[in-house]
Amino acid sequence: MVETESGRRLGRCRDLRAVLDTRRPVVRELVVGRRGRLEHLGIRTRRRNSPDAVPWEAVVRVEGSRIVVRDGTELV
Amino acid sequence: MSRSIDLGLNVLDHQLLDAEERRCGKVDDLALEGGPGEQLELVAILAGPGVWRTRAGLVGRLASWLGGGGRTRIPWEEVAHVGSHVSLRKRAQELGLGRGDDRMRPYIEKIPGADR
Amino acid sequence: MKIFQVALGILAAIGGFVDIGDLVFNVSAGATFGYQLLWVVVIGVVGITVYSEMCGRVAAVSGKAVFDAVRERVGFKAGLGALVSSQVVNLMTLTAEIGGVAICLQLLSGLPYRWLIVLAGAALVVVVWVTAFEWIERIFGYGGLCLLVFAVAAVKLHPPWGAVGHGFVPHMHTQSPLLYAYFAVGLLGAAMTPYEVYFYSSGGVEERWGPKDLGLNKVNAIIGYGLGGFLSFALMIVGGALFLGQGVEPEFLGTIALGAEVPLGQIGLLLALVGILFAVSGAAIDTLFSGAYNLAQFLGWEWGRYRHPRGAPRFTVTWLVLLVLALGVVLTGVDPVQLTEYAVIFSAVALPLTYIPILLVANDRTYMREYTNGRIANVLGVLYLVVIMVIALTAIPLMILTNVGQN
Repeated sequence: MVETESGRRLGRCRDLRAVLDTRRPVVRELVVGRRGRLEHLGIRTRRRNSPDAVPWEAVVRVEGSRIVVRDGTELV
Repeated sequence: MSRSIDLGLNVLDHQLLDAEERRCGKVDDLALEGGPGEQLELVAILAGPGVWRTRAGLVGRLASWLGGGGRTRIPWEEVAHVGSHVSLRKRAQELGLGRGDDRMRPYIEKIPGADR
Repeated sequence: MKIFQVALGILAAIGGFVDIGDLVFNVSAGATFGYQLLWVVVIGVVGITVYSEMCGRVAAVSGKAVFDAVRERVGFKAGLGALVSSQVVNLMTLTAEIGGVAICLQLLSGLPYRWLIVLAGAALVVVVWVTAFEWIERIFGYGGLCLLVFAVAAVKLHPPWGAVGHGFVPHMHTQSPLLYAYFAVGLLGAAMTPYEVYFYSSGGVEERWGPKDLGLNKVNAIIGYGLGGFLSFALMIVGGALFLGQGVEPEFLGTIALGAEVPLGQIGLLLALVGILFAVSGAAIDTLFSGAYNLAQFLGWEWGRYRHPRGAPRFTVTWLVLLVLALGVVLTGVDPVQLTEYAVIFSAVALPLTYIPILLVANDRTYMREYTNGRIANVLGVLYLVVIMVIALTAIPLMILTNVGQN
């Protein structure tokens, strides 16, 4: 579950999005929520820019199955 | 333009092909390095029955035990290309993959007509 | 030359469509409900055509066979569930087909059944081991064409064609709607048996199909299965014309062959038995390989009929082991026709986990590029997914409620 520091839930982490052009793939975003779940199955919805991910830089800490992101983080 | 991939969708559970296009296992798990505040990198592919135990509870442990429990770590540097399958730069033997088939081959070869 | 080859492939596909499940369910449905259920066969045939075309296209464009798709879309855990259930159903089907081969041999030769089981098993191993695979498909496909004798028989029996035509319009005229539903589910399950798509898609990968083969794929799927469906109609019409209201339940393969003997005499019987023998042997080989394909694809082993056995050792050992297991089960004396009914009904339950991953991959532009599912394929694909879900959920309850179609 991805949550902000103040406890607002953004959704479950479904996948990790990485860029491939570096020596090793570097994770840039966590794919999150219901739309993220569809994306994880390979179903891409029509609206390209609808938010379904949080940037890895926003992650503050990982506690077991909880991923805590900075307050004010929104899906991008 | 940088190419972006979803690791769970486009890499995990895909077929591994060696330098000679031989099928030599699946991407059974991924090894990531890095934590919050750092860069999170995919450093290696994990393959083999030993990895299954972490993926399907009790059934996974049973499958892992049946499969002999071996596991192989393939550094990402050995990956040549990620497409429909994950292609590797070296031959399976050099990477310690496909050993189950190699172990079985001598027995199969004893049957006449096996290399027809 | 190319057209010639396509024609050869199609002939093989027609002969390869009908297996013991189709024989049993089509003739029994005719014997029980006359021509009423012909429309269900149409639905089943369109369904297998849609999904075979999709599997063939996925294989040609992405190089992924069915269990590659299953593993990558639903993951290790759910995929393992799909694997285990499909292997159980496959083994049941294989066992039934081998039993069917032995029954045909017995009817043709009069020798003891158990000897013939062993003989059938040994013959299958030898044929598979020494014959090139394109020839296996052709030999059994063409041999299966003898089943066309049932089309002649259907005409010779002079069925009331008005009633036959009415059978293509969905309707239900019966005191026992549950039994009607059971047969409908069975006919759909028999037409859309999952091993057909496992085998078809793996074959596409093995023959290294590419986008240039997509036309061939479409023609194969539409004409091959379409004409295979034509054979199913013939079987049901024969069942209806000959056995309806006679109190005869075609519980033996011999009874089915009788359908050709009554109107056509000895030669009809002989052609029917030879056709059944080839069709069922071909299906035994298909199911045998499907089991090995699925396991190898799920675990990432080397696989393939075109790699010689030494090129794919674990794959080879897998099909040898499956054959021995199936022979062991047939030798216990289990009734192949009864087993067929169970196999078809259980396979209906395994259908969704086979077809959902294929539909997902066929829609993934990353792998399918410009060959991604179009609107027609998707509308039909989703429609059939609903049909498949309904049969998966109702198959076992109906089997229990109707006492496996007995009441």
